[in-house]
Amino acid sequence: MIRWLLRRVAVSAAMAWIVATIVFLALHLVPGDPAELLLSTGGVAADPSAVAELREKLGLERPILEQYAAFLKGVARGDLGNSLVDDYPVAAEIALRLPRTLELIFAGSLIAVLLGIPAGAYAALHRGGLFDRIVSWTAALLLAAPVFVVGTLLVLLLAQTLRLMPAGGYAQITQNPVQHFTLLALPAIAIAKGLTAIVFRMTRASTLDALSRDFVRTARAKGLSPNRVLVHHVLRNALTPVLTVLGLQMGTLLGGTVLVEYVFNWPGLSTPLLRAVEARDYPMVVGIVLTISALFLLINLIMDILYAVLDPRARAS
Amino acid sequence: MTISRRTWITGAAALPLLSRPGFAQKAAGIVRYGLSAFPPNLQPWVSTGAAAGTVKLLLHRSLVAYDAKGELRGELATSWSIDGEGAWVFKLRQGAVFHNGDPVTADDVKWSIEQIASEKSTAYMRAQFQSFAKVEIPDPQTVRIVTKEPLAVLPTWFANYNVFILSRKSTPTEPIGCGPFRMAAQERGTSIELAAFDRFYKKDAPKVKGVKFIVYADDNLRQAALMSGDVDIIEYVPWQSMAAVESNPRLRLDAVEGPFMCVLFNASKPPFNDPRVRRAVGHAVKRDDIVKAAFFGRGKGLEGVPIVEGTPWYDAKLAHGWNYDPARAKALLAEAGFANGIQATMLATAQYGMHKDTAEVVQQHLAAVGIQCELKLPDWPTRVTMGGRGQYDLAIHGLSGDSNDPDGLTAYLDTSQPANYSRSFNLSAPRTKELMDRGRAEFDQARRVAIYKEMQAAAIEEAPMVGLAWRHQGYGMDRGIRGFANLPGALTTLSGGTLEETSFG
Repeated sequence: MIRWLLRRVAVSAAMAWIVATIVFLALHLVPGDPAELLLSTGGVAADPSAVAELREKLGLERPILEQYAAFLKGVARGDLGNSLVDDYPVAAEIALRLPRTLELIFAGSLIAVLLGIPAGAYAALHRGGLFDRIVSWTAALLLAAPVFVVGTLLVLLLAQTLRLMPAGGYAQITQNPVQHFTLLALPAIAIAKGLTAIVFRMTRASTLDALSRDFVRTARAKGLSPNRVLVHHVLRNALTPVLTVLGLQMGTLLGGTVLVEYVFNWPGLSTPLLRAVEARDYPMVVGIVLTISALFLLINLIMDILYAVLDPRARAS
Repeated sequence: MTISRRTWITGAAALPLLSRPGFAQKAAGIVRYGLSAFPPNLQPWVSTGAAAGTVKLLLHRSLVAYDAKGELRGELATSWSIDGEGAWVFKLRQGAVFHNGDPVTADDVKWSIEQIASEKSTAYMRAQFQSFAKVEIPDPQTVRIVTKEPLAVLPTWFANYNVFILSRKSTPTEPIGCGPFRMAAQERGTSIELAAFDRFYKKDAPKVKGVKFIVYADDNLRQAALMSGDVDIIEYVPWQSMAAVESNPRLRLDAVEGPFMCVLFNASKPPFNDPRVRRAVGHAVKRDDIVKAAFFGRGKGLEGVPIVEGTPWYDAKLAHGWNYDPARAKALLAEAGFANGIQATMLATAQYGMHKDTAEVVQQHLAAVGIQCELKLPDWPTRVTMGGRGQYDLAIHGLSGDSNDPDGLTAYLDTSQPANYSRSFNLSAPRTKELMDRGRAEFDQARRVAIYKEMQAAAIEEAPMVGLAWRHQGYGMDRGIRGFANLPGALTTLSGGTLEETSFG
């Protein structure tokens, strides 16, 4: 078990290194000079000698392999470097913003679970009924509507027309908890939109599947109450695939909240990633991508370990 | 728990009380300003865009600045003039202090100018300031700048938002300024808070206790934030929303024609090395279509050199030197030997809608006269690199002059300077350049006007670039806001400086 675990950790670390290397090289290969871009923000071209001076200062004149070696050395020491734009430490930026993205994903997932699972189970139990048909159609609609459309409509309705909510932004929970959760509501709903539909469909399908199984028939046959059959026999079995899908979706959202964060001005990790790509801020992009992929790998590793604990067959493979 | 209808109504009624921010801010005298981008950094002399410029104008001061009408006024200098030997002499104000309490002296002015011009400098005005022969201090309240060539426009250089006077005690990471506000707090990427500096040299400014800049990168959200009262002022009102701001009784729109769109050429190879072909492009495009398609009618056609209407240099006839005349365009192409048409690549960027939309309209009109263009629409960083390397035949670009003086167009019209993405590539326009140089060195206003009219005529012939459209640059604000003004023409990006005089009515 220990050897297996060590091997899995080593594989994860190697994967993280591969991702970082690919991102580092790909970024340096695409056109765009961070020094020129910084000095010509707003469409005004900079003096070429000033650009040359800045390239020198930022260390961009060194050979790419030398820059790569310096980057790896930094990562080994836990130092992700500083932004090329304002010399701000990349690690500090991530430490500030990652929790906010995680909070957003968590809030969205919570809404999805609270709405999607009961609705899915109910729809399965009353398959073909009015509720099932309405909610199934709504789920399809929610999945099809792009998040920026739904987000913009929410802002237009709730902030601009009814003036019930701020248009977007962020307040620190320590300073203004009421404002914090008010501002969290709209982006969380936008994140939950697609996720709820997925959770609903998955729950509905796996509940239907479980309902047709022999053990459910047996449970009913031995006279258990319908509620007990539903909770202990149907849902327990039906929810395992739902949780797997939810876990995977949450991982995908780590890098996929860009549009929601942009539309609602939520200062999470996606916005600086986008800005850093636009500015060709190499250390910031690599640092953020490395963090996101490390988290993704960590989630996978934990899932693997859980499977292995639960099922000895997974260990052998 | 069951929710009765009454509970529901009570809850809904309480919602606005829960969520409305802002009224408290207004009571506290804080102006909230919706910024379109977070400044990459706030290094005083380095050009990092208009958002940074807006903040820097409040933290720092220069010798001069523009007032709400766009006229130069004294700031750290009280007067300036040319002495008998052709040097510029600035008399300094008494009693101005830096944020650390030190007085602003002529030594600080000299030090700042020398830092900008130094060999290791990355300052925006580095090349211009390197044309100073020396900076002298005849007495502690006077600075004398001796230039290598006569330089009529020198004072306007000091009104740029990348030129400020800093304390000699400043370090690269901690600049010490003397502006009306000082930095109170900032969160990278999100917001910047400034607090009024109580020892600012103007007794009646600033009029508010502070300014809070909140970044709304999304155009629609920034406008929604203004509409919903989350902020008091926003910059860059999106063109499609200008009508909504105008028709809202609580709000006011202040828009000017400042920046412009144009075509740049790669003249290192045929066919655009021939000025007749470049002029043909100028006559081929119907400008109104651009204003309608890209700017929702919020702009004006530009058929000449981008000289702002209402300034002394404007000439009604020259302003239409490249009027829309497809027959003339075809004749010019035939004369240049391209009667059978031209295949070309047109570079723009998909990252900014106005660049892409303009390019698509230009593509249509050029096709009508026989110039078939293949559009290239990479992201902005790639556009910058390709432009600087001349990897295009035609390029669409959006620009703004440094000032409303024709000299503020030097960077775009003087194509003899080193290649970069915002001027034509390898293009020779010797008469335009020569007249720009003469205008810069001429002190007599009547003669300057004559020179710049001649320059416009030359530029129409040589076509170092071709104008397409002026676009409106608008600020939206609460009607209660007083003292904030959109500066005319190219100065519009300097409007943030008027936050010093802004108050709640």
